[in-house]
Amino acid sequence: MSLWLQIVDTAGAVLLLIGAATCLLGVIGMLRLPDVLSRSHAATKPQTLGMILVLAGVALRLRGGMELATLALIAFFQMLTGPVASHLVARSAYRTGQVDHSELLFDELDEQLTDGK
Amino acid sequence: MKRVLGFSFRNADLPPLSFEFGRRRRVLDLPLIIWLTVIWVLLWSTLTWANVLTGLVVSVVVCLAFPLPRVDLGLRLHPWGIVCLAGYLFYDMYTSAVKVTRQTLFGLPHRAAVIGVPLRCRSDLMLAATAVAVSNVPGGSIIEVRRATATVFVHVLDADRPEELEAARRQVWRVEELTVRAFGTRDEIARVAEPPPPPQLAAGRPAP
Repeated sequence: MSLWLQIVDTAGAVLLLIGAATCLLGVIGMLRLPDVLSRSHAATKPQTLGMILVLAGVALRLRGGMELATLALIAFFQMLTGPVASHLVARSAYRTGQVDHSELLFDELDEQLTDGK
Repeated sequence: MKRVLGFSFRNADLPPLSFEFGRRRRVLDLPLIIWLTVIWVLLWSTLTWANVLTGLVVSVVVCLAFPLPRVDLGLRLHPWGIVCLAGYLFYDMYTSAVKVTRQTLFGLPHRAAVIGVPLRCRSDLMLAATAVAVSNVPGGSIIEVRRATATVFVHVLDADRPEELEAARRQVWRVEELTVRAFGTRDEIARVAEPPPPPQLAAGRPAP
């Protein structure tokens, strides 16, 4: 039984580490990628994934019914609010001309905006 | 003289599972109250009668203080669909996180692009849910949503190869279908069961 607990504890610790590493990768990506839109990829999504992994690790170490539910609530709201923030940043960056259009291969939004459709 | 209390199964104007009461016809949405109570109990993280009762009181007060318009959001919960959606999202998050990581660490040269993907669902809620689900997955980030044509504009990191673009579009459609199967009404599910819009609408421009 205690061996079993040890396995779960270790798995939790590993998940915590992986989650933290994923968040770190997001930061590295943010420093290395060239423009706002690419950076918003790196800034939001590895962070969400890392957060969920950290929460899973914490859940494996806490092992309580209500704590699990609270962690699930945190993950739910993280997944719900993260995209809204990233969308607002991307949208305002696009609309205020922070995006270098020559860097883009093509842009189907630009055509629609200039068409006035 | 109208009734003091009206229930949604008697009155078709009301959203499902809700009732209105009083002279000012305030509408209380039962699923919303239950959801708010669940959040309240989770925030206290102990399940006691006192927590449930105070949660109910707080959510009713919140619903009365900030009344929502009486519309049917079109939110239905399909448990199996939600499981499928969550499973696919986690799988997708993992695989594309590996891809994005390779790209950032080894600095593979790539050209990004903004593509418009016409969706099949029409309701606002499904549109928003699909957009949220798409932008939780690495590799696609929503820049703009056009409500009139139900088109999402996605920034794709590696757009050099046409097959990557096609894959990105197919992925958005797949996420859309799973989202609607998890939360949509019957009409919307029938709509996403049809094949995606024809390729001439969807096909990307050839790479220069």
